Amino acid sequence: MALRRYLLSIPIFAFIFIVQESVVTQLRVPFGGFSLLLIFTLIWAAMSTPEIGALTGFGAGILMDLSQSSPGPMGHWTLVLILAGYTVAFLGYGDDNIRANPINIVFITTIGVVASQFVFLLLGLLLGQEIGSTSHILFLLAGSAFWTAIISPLLLKVISFTHSNVFGTRSLL
Amino acid sequence: MRYGGDNRGRLLIIVLIVTSLFLITLDLRGVAVIDGVRTGTQTALTPVQKLGSWAVKPFRNFVSDVTHLGRTQNQINNLKAENEKLRTRLQNRKIADAQLTQLKSVLDLAGTAEYKVVSARVISQGSSTSFTQTVSIDAGTSSGITQNMTVISGFGLVGVVKAAYANSALVQLASDPAFRIGVRIAGTQQIGILSGQGTRKGVLQLLDNTTQVKVGDVLLARGSQNGRPFVPGAPIGEVTSVDNSPGAVSQTAEVKFFANFSTLGVVAVVVSNPKSDPRDALVPPKPRPTPLPTVTVYASPDTATASQSPSPTKPSPTKPSPSKSSATR
Repeated sequence: MALRRYLLSIPIFAFIFIVQESVVTQLRVPFGGFSLLLIFTLIWAAMSTPEIGALTGFGAGILMDLSQSSPGPMGHWTLVLILAGYTVAFLGYGDDNIRANPINIVFITTIGVVASQFVFLLLGLLLGQEIGSTSHILFLLAGSAFWTAIISPLLLKVISFTHSNVFGTRSLL
Repeated sequence: MRYGGDNRGRLLIIVLIVTSLFLITLDLRGVAVIDGVRTGTQTALTPVQKLGSWAVKPFRNFVSDVTHLGRTQNQINNLKAENEKLRTRLQNRKIADAQLTQLKSVLDLAGTAEYKVVSARVISQGSSTSFTQTVSIDAGTSSGITQNMTVISGFGLVGVVKAAYANSALVQLASDPAFRIGVRIAGTQQIGILSGQGTRKGVLQLLDNTTQVKVGDVLLARGSQNGRPFVPGAPIGEVTSVDNSPGAVSQTAEVKFFANFSTLGVVAVVVSNPKSDPRDALVPPKPRPTPLPTVTVYASPDTATASQSPSPTKPSPTKPSPSKSSATR
């Protein structure tokens, strides 16, 4: 049942991916910018069960790997987002103090985005990729955290509404 | 965190992780299917990206403009006086003019070096989420563009074509941390390797430690065999600082790229190797200081005396006198 409902979320993620690739990448924002798909995925996972969180991470990871700007091999982002989706969902699952509090969700998402990028970087290093100067990486990670903290609250209500409709649950936010 | 998990859940996680590791292995082994999926996705996305580029054009720089609000306040006040239609027209005209200027300068550069080029517009910038520096252009294999071709702008080297699709191509910028290029210093012909650092500045490593590099030296592409991935002679950047640490294995220097990667609009892909190496022909001319106009004011002491102490005597005609002062503006 949950898996069938999970399949319903695929068009939503495909839409977010297209928006990310065709609109967000056009905007020249300071501090390195943000990934709408990454933020969306982690907020979605934070509202789901750990299994759905991992499946969400898997689907979103495949899409991020298909992005032309992804430097790593296919499966690189997938592996990172499976772990991120599962972890974020696991942290909040069954605890309404976390899942019903928007500030907690934004906080978890922001930490999750930065941690995902960091793990992506480490995995890239293991796979032999060049990562550039440390100061530049820290700048990008800080910029990513900044933008996630700005964007997440704006998306939270919409994602919560969509998530509750897809999975037939009551929105806690 | 009351979740304890069950066997089915654990099995699912394991299956997903193994699948992703399987995908990584397949891709690293160069399985054609994976590349085909990526190429297909990019081909399908190109029209949407072009549409997005058109839709986003009016407010592409909105966020960065907001951060520079203080500096552009006067300009904003002036623009407020104009009506909406005129403003839109002006903006469209500016965009067209900027693209025309970029196109003209890139064609000038290509013409001087006798590069055969295909011009293209930048349709999207790669996400920095993946720590790479890339842009997409709206020309691909249908225009004769293939992988490992040099990409230039009016100022010089921009990067190299990393992947080419039917109607678009992905360009790895020279600022990408994975970017490496063999360079030579104009004039002295010393050679070295320049690597991107994720910013507009790169690091030059000279191959010969006994030679000297100095601030202001211009770097040119050394060129590759058959001009791929790099054509010879393309200007790259200028040395801004030299690291003279005693005991260093090789001499290094910081280089500022000529191309401004954040304002790329029109670029050109070199599709054919020049018949001859342009050598130092593409070195940009040094900026010459504008001569300051000098205004010389002659003051006649007779006139000054006359104004201070009026007398009936007729003042002598004004003529250049030894007591003159000059003011320089």
